[in-house]
Amino acid sequence: MEDIEDKAVLRARDFWAAIVLMAVSLFFLWKTSEIPLFGGNRAGVSSAAWYNSAAIVPLGIFIALFVLSVVLLVITIREGGAQRALTSVGIGWDRVEALRFVTLAVILFSYIACLVPRVDFIISSGLLITAMIYGYRGGDTARMKLAAGILFVAGLYALIRHLPQAEWAAHDDDWLVLALWLALTIWVLVQARADRVLRFVPVIAVVAPIILVTAMAFGFRQNIPNRGGLLFEHIQYHYYVTLRPLWRD
Amino acid sequence: MEFVFSQLAGFGEAFVALVIDPLTYVYLIVSVFLGITFGALPGLTATLAVTILTGFFGNKIPLDYSLIALLGAYVGAIYGGSYPSILLNIPGTAASAATAMDGHPLAKAGRGGEALGLTTTASFIGTLIGTVALLIFVWVLLLISQNIASPEKALLALFGILLSGTLMSEDLVIKGWIAGLIGLAMAMVGLDPLLSEPRYTFGWSYMLSGFQVVPVLMGAFAVPQIIDGMRHMEAGKLVANPGRILPNMASIRRYLPTISRSGVIGTGVGALPGVGEDVAGWVSYGVGKSVSKEGHKFGKGSIEGLLSSETANNACIGGALIPLLVLGIPGSPPAAALMGAFKINNVIPGPTIDPAIILRVVAIMVLASFTMFIMGLFTARVFIKILRIPQTVFLPIVMVLTAIGSFSVGGGINDLYLMLGVGIVAYFLNLLKYPIAPLVIGVILGGLFDETFRRSLLISQGDLMVFVSRPGAAILLLLNVSLILSQFPAVQRGFRRLRRKPA
Repeated sequence: MEDIEDKAVLRARDFWAAIVLMAVSLFFLWKTSEIPLFGGNRAGVSSAAWYNSAAIVPLGIFIALFVLSVVLLVITIREGGAQRALTSVGIGWDRVEALRFVTLAVILFSYIACLVPRVDFIISSGLLITAMIYGYRGGDTARMKLAAGILFVAGLYALIRHLPQAEWAAHDDDWLVLALWLALTIWVLVQARADRVLRFVPVIAVVAPIILVTAMAFGFRQNIPNRGGLLFEHIQYHYYVTLRPLWRD
Repeated sequence: MEFVFSQLAGFGEAFVALVIDPLTYVYLIVSVFLGITFGALPGLTATLAVTILTGFFGNKIPLDYSLIALLGAYVGAIYGGSYPSILLNIPGTAASAATAMDGHPLAKAGRGGEALGLTTTASFIGTLIGTVALLIFVWVLLLISQNIASPEKALLALFGILLSGTLMSEDLVIKGWIAGLIGLAMAMVGLDPLLSEPRYTFGWSYMLSGFQVVPVLMGAFAVPQIIDGMRHMEAGKLVANPGRILPNMASIRRYLPTISRSGVIGTGVGALPGVGEDVAGWVSYGVGKSVSKEGHKFGKGSIEGLLSSETANNACIGGALIPLLVLGIPGSPPAAALMGAFKINNVIPGPTIDPAIILRVVAIMVLASFTMFIMGLFTARVFIKILRIPQTVFLPIVMVLTAIGSFSVGGGINDLYLMLGVGIVAYFLNLLKYPIAPLVIGVILGGLFDETFRRSLLISQGDLMVFVSRPGAAILLLLNVSLILSQFPAVQRGFRRLRRKPA
């Protein structure tokens, strides 16, 4: 019985997916029309014939995608997906699951798009690890909201204050994120009386990013995000000025 | 005979060169350990292990060492999936799903240690069978592939995407094909390979070079896993005391025909483009159930069932490397990640690959399987302890690993945006039961398909008969058309009628 219900939900989702896919393939077919297909002429120079055009393969791909989306739409209509999708919410996501996804999307977006380019990698990753473990361990929605809220505030501040790349080296956002991380850590430790695993969160949140970032920067000598970050610039300075001469000399 | 001796001599040289280099052991032990850990933790997969290590080792160390790290992790992760399958009844990786069917009942009956010992041995033998097949068939296919020109390459790339879409689909086959087309479409972004015409760049200079493979892999495999795994789950009940973990040689001898058959099936399935270890495990399990005298015991704690799936999924690794090395078409999702590592090292797998690389891959596979065997027997208790780490604790660390790995390969923040975008799309595709492997294979093979398809037409002045006039191309075209037609309801009905008639 549950399988039938799952399949009905899946077909309702497929119905919407087929419509999105049709729209996407039509949009890209229109974009493909901007690529010369039948021997376009640019600045008096004739470009390739149809069979060598840069548009021929994408054209085939998007036509095929459109056709398959139509077939999928027909299948979903035949199997009752359209009816379900149009008569009720139908896509089978309850409130908790929707909240879980939205809060995670906020956390990941804030971390990748706002914090990693602008804030010290150790600090931003420490905050991410603390917030994610605390927020999603136990399945409590209030915790999820708190974790997402903290990342959102940190990310929004960094984004608004230092949007252009020229300002990414500034440190005021690093200080704010550090303060938020410390505050959340204290809160997590207060809550840790009821959950033994939470006691280890501060250790994991500090050790994991430091090991990763130092291994990448000094072990593999690779570029890492935000080399001039609040903590990493000191680590880098002492590595090259204090530590490295010990074995170089 | 001369060919066999020259092969063995070449393999011997590569093997000795690896054995006498102390750094080999450092990379091997670390990577196999990480691989088993990734495999053992439910929520992390073999593909993710190879993808994340590609971000770390892909282009930062010499190719030889990065191959050791990636192949070690690949072998370790496929084996590591058996731990939670047996002890928790939760497959660590999709490849070990069939292992849980008999592994867990054995553990519940107090034979967990024996089951782990047997899977360790079976995985070891399976990997060796796949590796031997790799050593032999790769050369035969390399000789054949010398005659492969643009039409065959284009049709082969298409066949890989179609086949992967067909076999990896959990729900409708059409979804696998759509996923493959999305991957192909993603590969069209950037300057086209023949005329340098910009396509779908939206005026953004970053897009001119197209989508980078590693951020796409990280996004496709890591981000959905993280989003899906960050939920509260009651820890599975670990079987209290699995007992002594030792290979039961009497059982191994008794079931040697099963192990050999499963090894051959695993290698064969692995050699199919884009079809992974999970399919190999289930196919072998299914064959075992139908041919075995103990078929009725499968699913109730049968050692033969356990060996069928566990040998095949590890043998699949060697098989998956055959099309990767010979044709540049990954045989499984982790092999697609491996292809990403080759690409960022400027090594183009295919008919023009340096034969020394193939011999080194074979030597690394042999060493990796030995390392896995030894670690499996002597450090199993460590991995059993690792099983207790909750997903919500290790997945945030995986997110940080993914971010730094993705950033360091391309060195740009745009790669992180790409990774996140692909990740969100892949999450929804997962939710809608679209397989991700055809998408990734489409991204990887899209450039090859575009270039060779248009080159074929250019050579023939637009004559489509170029895809029929060459025997190899005609066969491949027939395979592609048959694969598509086989999914048409009318054709399926016709086949069913035909099957009924003789009966």
